[in-house]
Amino acid sequence: MLCGDPAALAAGIVPGLKLSTALGLCPGLAVVERDDAREISALHGLACWAGCFTPTLSVLAPASLLLEIGGCLRLFGGAGAIVAAVQAGCAAQSYSLHWAAAPTPLAALWLARAGRAEIYPELSAMQAALTGLPCAVPGWPSEILERIEAFGLRKLGDLRRQPAAGLRRRLGNEVLDDLARAWGELPQPLKPFVFPENFRQKIELPARVEHAEALAFAGQRLFAALAGWLQGRQFLVRACTLQLTHDDASNSDLVLRFAEPAADETRFARLLREHLGRLQLRGPVEALTLLADELVGKPGVSAGLFEQPVAGEGLAVCLERVQARLGSAAVQVLGENPDYRPECAIRQSAPDVKAAPVTASGAGHAARPLWLLPLPQALAEQGGRPHWQGPLNLLSRGERLESGWWDEGESDAAGDLRRDYFVAQNPRGQWLWVFRDGEGWFMHGLFA
Amino acid sequence: MSTMPLPATLAEVLARGDIWRGDTLAGLPENVIASGHAELDAELPGGGWPRGCLTEILTERSGLGEMSLLLPALANLSAAGGWLALIDPPCLPYAPAWAAGGLALERLLVIRAGRESAWCCEQLLASGGFAGVLAWPEAGINPRALRRLQVAAEGRPTFACLWRSASVAAIPSPAPLRLALSAGESGLAVRILKRRGRPAARPLILSIVRPGRSPRALVGPSLSLAAPRSATAAAVA
Repeated sequence: MLCGDPAALAAGIVPGLKLSTALGLCPGLAVVERDDAREISALHGLACWAGCFTPTLSVLAPASLLLEIGGCLRLFGGAGAIVAAVQAGCAAQSYSLHWAAAPTPLAALWLARAGRAEIYPELSAMQAALTGLPCAVPGWPSEILERIEAFGLRKLGDLRRQPAAGLRRRLGNEVLDDLARAWGELPQPLKPFVFPENFRQKIELPARVEHAEALAFAGQRLFAALAGWLQGRQFLVRACTLQLTHDDASNSDLVLRFAEPAADETRFARLLREHLGRLQLRGPVEALTLLADELVGKPGVSAGLFEQPVAGEGLAVCLERVQARLGSAAVQVLGENPDYRPECAIRQSAPDVKAAPVTASGAGHAARPLWLLPLPQALAEQGGRPHWQGPLNLLSRGERLESGWWDEGESDAAGDLRRDYFVAQNPRGQWLWVFRDGEGWFMHGLFA
Repeated sequence: MSTMPLPATLAEVLARGDIWRGDTLAGLPENVIASGHAELDAELPGGGWPRGCLTEILTERSGLGEMSLLLPALANLSAAGGWLALIDPPCLPYAPAWAAGGLALERLLVIRAGRESAWCCEQLLASGGFAGVLAWPEAGINPRALRRLQVAAEGRPTFACLWRSASVAAIPSPAPLRLALSAGESGLAVRILKRRGRPAARPLILSIVRPGRSPRALVGPSLSLAAPRSATAAAVA
C-alpha cells in the first residue's frame, strides 16, 4: 500500500501495509496498481502546463517539478501571485501538491517535501528553516540514514554543525555536497525540461464515459497542458484534434478550428463545450488524446497606443462560437458571380476575418432588387397584365436577359434563359422585379 | 448684492448630453449614425440611427423601400471597415444589388439561424465586434427575449435593427426607437411610434431612390393605366 483516500485511511489502511492485510481490514477496497509510465506522462503533462509560468523548469522523478520563477516575478507581480496561480491551476486539474519557494532548488525541494508551504525570499530565512528539517527529508540511502541516526543527529542543522572533514570520511561526499548545495554554497546545475516538438498528450479516463458533456472536464486538463506548451514554445494553434478512443479500440476524431489562432485556455474550453454539446458518441469513451495540428508562430504585433479597446470579446471569437452552434453552412458571406442569370449571380463562401477587400466589379446600370426569391413565383394574368395582390403596373422598359446555353440540359443548373425583366409596382405600393418568358409572367425579386 | 455669472454655467450644464429637457430630443453625439435623409435625421434623437440600443422597424409588407432607407447608413458602416450581419432575412440577398448599394460583400454575413435566431442575435450584439446587426426575429418573440437583446446591445458600438410585422405595433417593446413604414403616395411614409424625447407629431414622407425613377423627380410614377400599357405593348410585341 502506498497511499489511500480518506475513507481508506479511516478504515486503518496506512502506507506500508501488505495487500493481503489491507484487504483483510477492508474487504471492499478498490485497489489500483501503480503504473510508472502513466505517472511520468502525467508529470510531463503538468510540466507542459507549467510552461505558462516560466520557460525554465526541471522534472525530478518520481513526482517533483522545479520551476525557476526568479525571472518572472516582475511579470506576474510577485512570488505570491505565481504561487496562487500554480495552486489554482493544479486544483483545477485535480492534482494535490506540496510546495515551497526558496533561493536554491534543492532547499525548495526539501522544504516542499517537509510540507512547509511558504515562500522564503531571503537566503538567511531559508537557511534557518533548513536547520529545522529532519534528516529523513533529503532522501539519502537507508544505510547513510542509519549511520546518521547512530551518531545521534536528528536535524539537518545538527549535521551542519559537525566538522566537515570527519563527516566526509564517515558518510561520503554525497551528503556534504547536498548540504552545501542546499545552503547555497555550491551551484547546482539542473537538466531543463525540453518542451516536446509536437504536442500529443493522452489521458486515460478513470471510468468509461457515455455522455459527451462529461468529457469536458478531462478535456480541460489536456487543454491546460496545451496552453502551457504553446506559451513555452511561443506558438498559436489554429486547429487541433481531440481523438476519442472507444472501448472497442476504435478512434473517432473531433476537429476544433479557430477563426483566429489562439493560445487562450478559456477559448479552448468554450469551443470544446459547444462542440461536445452537439456530438453524438459512437460508443463509450475510454481515453482522450489531444494533438495540435496547425500551429503558427506568435506574431510580435504591437498594438496602437490610442486604439479604442473593443468592448466585448470581438468578432472572430463570436463567429467561431456561432459557427460551432449552427454549423458552418449556416454562416456565409456573399460574393458575386459574373453571370447574367440572376439566380447564378450569387456565390456563398465561408467568412474570413482577415479577408482583403475585394474591388467591386463594374456594376451594371440596370436596377437590381435587394431581395431575390429563391424560385421565381408564377403570377396570375388577367387581361394581359400580371397580378400579384393587385394589378401590376410595369414601370420600365423590358430588359432582355438571354444566357446560359452551356448549362442547358444539366440537372440542378439554371439552363438556357430567355426572359424580359420589368420593374413593376402594385397598388399597395410594393416594387417588384417581374419577368416574362415563354411560359408566362413570374416574379423574381423585391426592391426593398 | 453681487450677481453671480450664472447664465454661462447654466448654458454649459444644459448643453451636456445626459441632461434631458422636456421640449427637446435627447442628443448624444457620438452614438448615432447619419441616416442619409435630412428630414429623418431631424426627427431621430441624436440626429441619426442610434448605436448601442435596439431599433425596431415595423412594416406590413416588403418591397416598399424599407431596406433602401437604411442602405446609405449601412454603406457608410461597411466602407469604414465594419462587419454587417443579416440574421434570417426573408429572401435571398441579391449580392450584385447590395454591392451596387455600396456595401463590401466580404464583410456582409448572412446567417440562417432557424430556431436559434434569438440566441444568435444576442451573441452577435454582445460581442461588440459588428458594426451593424439586422435581424428578422420570429413572429412570436416574447418581450423577455427582446429585453435580453436590448441588454446585450447596451454600451456596444453596434447598430441593432429588428424587422417585425406591423401587427405588433400595439404590443409594447423595450426598443427605444420604433418606426412604422408604409407606402405613401410620393414615397415612403415613416411614422415614428416611439423615441426618446417628445412623441412625433406627424408622419414623414421620404423619397427613396427607386428603380426606373431618376433621383431628381419628386413626383412618383403615375398609377394611371394609360402610359404603362403602351410600354408593355411595345416590349412584348
